[in-house]
Formats: sequence, C-alpha cells, structure tokens
Amino acid sequence: KTLMPAIVVVALAFTMVVIAYGMESVAPGVHDSFHDFRHVIGMPCH
Amino acid sequence: MNTSFYKGVISGVVAGIVWGWISMVVNSISGAFPFEHSFFFNVVIFSISGAIFGVIVSEFLVLIGERLPFKRILPKAIMVSTSFWLLLRSGGIVLSIMMPDRYHPEIPQAIQGFFLSVILGVLVSLLWDKETKALTSYEGV
Repeated sequence: KTLMPAIVVVALAFTMVVIAYGMESVAPGVHDSFHDFRHVIGMPCH
Repeated sequence: MNTSFYKGVISGVVAGIVWGWISMVVNSISGAFPFEHSFFFNVVIFSISGAIFGVIVSEFLVLIGERLPFKRILPKAIMVSTSFWLLLRSGGIVLSIMMPDRYHPEIPQAIQGFFLSVILGVLVSLLWDKETKALTSYEGV
C-alpha cells in the first residue's frame, strides 16, 4: 500500500528526470534517443 | 491482496503507452516540433517514456490520492499529472538559467506539453475506473 508504490515512484521519477533533461552523465545516449520526446512534452533542449 | 499497487501499474502502463502515441499525433497536427527520428523509432521511444510517465502518475494516486482535495478520480489524476509536469518544467527553467547554451525553452512546445499532461491525467483516470471494475469482479470470483 505504501512502500512499494513509493519505491516505484522514486525510481521512475528519477528515470523521468534523466530523460527530460537528457542527462548523458547518468545514461549515455539518452539525449539523442529521447530528443524528440523531450521537445514534444515541452522540456527545454537544444 | 492489495489491488491498488497492481491497478496503478496496469492503468499507468496502458494509459502511458496510449498517451505516447497521442502525443505523437498531437505534435504532428500542431507542428510544434518537427520530428528528427524515424516514425518507428519514435513509436518505441514514446511508448517507453509514456509508460514511465503513466506509472508515475498512477502510483502517485495510490500514495496520495486519498489526501487530494477532490472526490472524483478525474480531477485527482489531472492534478497529479500536471503537477509532475510543472515540477519537471520548473527544473528545466532552472537549467535554462544555469546553462542557456544547452537548454533553451520553446514556449509553443511548453504549452503543448502542459496540454498533453492534462490528457495523460484523463487517460489514467479512465483506465483507473476500468481497472477497479475488472479487479473487483476478479476478486469476487
């Protein structure tokens, strides 16, 4: 009821932050792979 | 058995994947951003990203849904999805200020993104209701 959803939310929220900001230092290749998605959902990008 | 966790995962994944495809359609219509990758590559990427976003929203509903100031699931889901999007966007604004050459914001894309986050809330709430009925009937057997 509480711990499992909390673990899932924290893990996925971190993943989403990495995707949304294209954090290459955390996940190499994420910037290019998710480039279109980032623009479509309105995140700042170059 | 607590069904909320499973309900959150199932409704989040399905709603998120559908939302990813809808995002591609909306962007194709609006023309806010011309796609750079191929269609099939983007279908996979948008499905994965959508599923992640969808599960975040639905599991947030499992965690804090009862404390939100609404009775129906629809406004709760919209509130969670738009809040998470605004949180990400706020971080993006900070990054734009810190590294303006790397991150520069596009207002039309931001408006589209907010609109899409509302759509995700609607989709999660629709599937949440369907999952509730399905799991209730399953447990009743």
